Amino acid sequence: MKLKFALVISTAVAFTSCKPKLDADTPEKGNMDPTRFVSLGGSTTAGFADGALYAEGQENSIGNILATQFQLVGGGSFLQPLMPSSSVGIGFTGKSKSILGYKTDCTGTTSLSPIPFNAAGGDLAALGTSVYTSPFNNMGVPGVKANELVFPGYGNSANGAGNYNPFFARMASNPTTSSVLSDAMATNPTFFSLYAGEQDILNYAISGGGAATITPVNGAAGVGFDGSITTAVTTLTSNGAKGVIGNIPDVTLYPFFNTIPYNGLKLDAATAQLLTNALGQQGMSFAAGNNAFVIQDNSLPLGARQIKPGEYILLSIPLDSVKCNKMGSLIPIPEKYILTLEEVANIKSATNSYNAVISQVAATYGLALADVNTFLKSVKTGVVFNGIGLNANFVSGGTFSLDGIHLNPIGNAMVSNVFIKAINQTFGSTIPQVDATKYRGVKFP
Amino acid sequence: MKTMEKRLLLLLFLVPAMLRSQGFQVNLQGQKQQAMGSAGTALVQDAAILFYNPGGASFLKKSEINAGFTPIFARGKFVDANTNASARTNSPMGTPFSLYGAFGFKKVEKLKLGLAVYTPFGSTVQWEDGWTGRFALTRLELKAIFVQPTVSYKITDKIGIGAGFVYSTGSVNLQKDIPVLGNDGNYGHAELAGSAAGFGYNAGIYFQPTEKLSFGLTYRSQVDMKVDDGEATFTVPDALNANFPDGKFSAALPLPQIASFGVAYKFSDKFNMAFDFNYAGWKAYDTLAFDYEKNTTSLLDTKSARSYKNTYAFRLGGKYMVTKDFTAMAGISFNTTPVKDGYVTPETPDADRITYTAGVSYKIGEHISLDASFLFVSLKRKDKNLETNLDGTFKTNVCAPGIGFNYKF
Repeated sequence: MKLKFALVISTAVAFTSCKPKLDADTPEKGNMDPTRFVSLGGSTTAGFADGALYAEGQENSIGNILATQFQLVGGGSFLQPLMPSSSVGIGFTGKSKSILGYKTDCTGTTSLSPIPFNAAGGDLAALGTSVYTSPFNNMGVPGVKANELVFPGYGNSANGAGNYNPFFARMASNPTTSSVLSDAMATNPTFFSLYAGEQDILNYAISGGGAATITPVNGAAGVGFDGSITTAVTTLTSNGAKGVIGNIPDVTLYPFFNTIPYNGLKLDAATAQLLTNALGQQGMSFAAGNNAFVIQDNSLPLGARQIKPGEYILLSIPLDSVKCNKMGSLIPIPEKYILTLEEVANIKSATNSYNAVISQVAATYGLALADVNTFLKSVKTGVVFNGIGLNANFVSGGTFSLDGIHLNPIGNAMVSNVFIKAINQTFGSTIPQVDATKYRGVKFP
Repeated sequence: MKTMEKRLLLLLFLVPAMLRSQGFQVNLQGQKQQAMGSAGTALVQDAAILFYNPGGASFLKKSEINAGFTPIFARGKFVDANTNASARTNSPMGTPFSLYGAFGFKKVEKLKLGLAVYTPFGSTVQWEDGWTGRFALTRLELKAIFVQPTVSYKITDKIGIGAGFVYSTGSVNLQKDIPVLGNDGNYGHAELAGSAAGFGYNAGIYFQPTEKLSFGLTYRSQVDMKVDDGEATFTVPDALNANFPDGKFSAALPLPQIASFGVAYKFSDKFNMAFDFNYAGWKAYDTLAFDYEKNTTSLLDTKSARSYKNTYAFRLGGKYMVTKDFTAMAGISFNTTPVKDGYVTPETPDADRITYTAGVSYKIGEHISLDASFLFVSLKRKDKNLETNLDGTFKTNVCAPGIGFNYKF
């Protein structure tokens, strides 16, 4: 009987132990203090995506994702200058956010394409309305350059284009006097993230190396990259705050520059012969199949040549003109849609110089260094997170939003993890990375 | 000599690190054997010997029918090493059963004919909705039923041989989410379902040199479960329907060859022990390939490396006759896992394992006895999968209480 009793008991014990106990270690903050966290930077930090600032993008901004993870180790609330949740969003040129929809091109072909969510335009009213009540923790400002972070009155429209940013005006404590940096300091931060400088190069890149210049590497605060970053970090650390700084990705890997192949000019034999006849004396030749597009090049006597491998055609190009109006063949693609080898070299050179400054500043001020550049290079060749494959292809790659430049929520989550890893490594914390599978990529109709 | 023999055997039985093999194998065959750590190659207890050693069936004293049912309650949890995200399984109860009939004939006493029907492989793993590994797996249902007609012949008073033909039939249903998101906020979903069939055989020798000592040696062939006419069903946003066409697929899953060697010894009229060593050819499971009838740029044939390695197992069990009608049993086994580091998947989050078992057998009358057994095993494995980068710890507890019925005539 004793044996039977023992068996009954042991069976009962075995049953209750059938539910496995398995718990993660409790996250630790190490020697960083997440109590008051402020996030500074440009569009990516702001949560700008799909060509616009809108609430969902802001909620999935790198700053907000980091703040959410910091809250696991005692971080405080994270106030953002949120757009109204129902807003169609507002972009740099007044458009609404883009969504993936169907578009019929000049040849009558209907296919999936980014289309404006609201054809009538973006939410100018929201852009013109101040949302300031108390200092914001997300001081990411769409379009802000590193050398503009320190600029007082950056929200003052009287300063004119280049010295004024309406996205800052709507969130500034005092648009006529405050700077991004001074408003960030108003939060009295104990920890900060700084991810700035991308826009300093991007403006040049997306204008085809034309309208905008690259912020010089050296120069005083408000002029050069190094002076501006150093001033920002000196100020941010002045009360003992620690922080993380992200380096700058090579923007030429963005889908905006890689979606239209340089040799996307498909010709049949007859058309190729016609083009060779017409343009042969300019040193161009065409054959049946894929050919390099014809682009504008004002350095040449006749002002045109074929694009070379390693040069990029921008996503801003009017595709209907290419498909139906001979742009890229008889009509050269205008320079503003092209990055030439020289322009690409300028971009890469500036990126390397900026990143050298960022590494130096990180070392000097004891900041964690998030190597976003290396990470996004790995995205270019493809990464896998818990079974989700991500790459830098437009739409299908998942990482980038429909503007081909700014990240999707899942892209932000992945980059946030680069920041978290750097923070943990530098400050001995064990802040969990974010589960990127909970963040979306491109939505399909 | 007798004492010497006993001592040697005891030493053998008490080898501490006991191993055993698993994968998607369910080692639940015969309640008495289950209760004794699944050691049964060299111990003729009941008609379940048809599974453990067809050579031993000829040593059954009577005709017997044995039926058993062992519900499996497997509960798993995963904790992501990087994000701390955790998820549990909601797997339904597994329902392995076994039915063995061994029949003797007065005119040819040395012959036994048998039929065994059992579920040697199979399980259902169902992960919590929305779990972080859902693009690797949401649900896997594997079912296999083996039907094994068997002949066993007692060559001498000490040696029996036997062989069986195995026909297997089963089904597979694999589901996972596809990382394409619709405007409704739902991810795509893939369901691959099909039935599978395969053939194999088993054979064994049973050798009983003395009344107390017996040996067994068996071999089970590999059975390739082939799905030729599976149905692949994809639920994706409308815009991507052309990229993920529903259609046929084919796949194959090898069930490994297994060699077993067993020893049993009767220490007294009341106390027996049995020991098995087995070696399973899991190396055959190298790749899980899905060949889709309709391919697109989004839907290519897949080849996922599984790279299983061969496994071995030590199994040890004892039984003690408490009264004339009541026998208590206990056992322990150790299996190595076929899954190498870098290849652990949510399908079979396998690990080296120690299994604890116990059971009782009650004689109700001259012809009938009832058996009950209990099995407990806990598995824990930390790994980063090379294909999906799913990185974390899986823990699975399995409780399997079983009941069985014996009829001798």
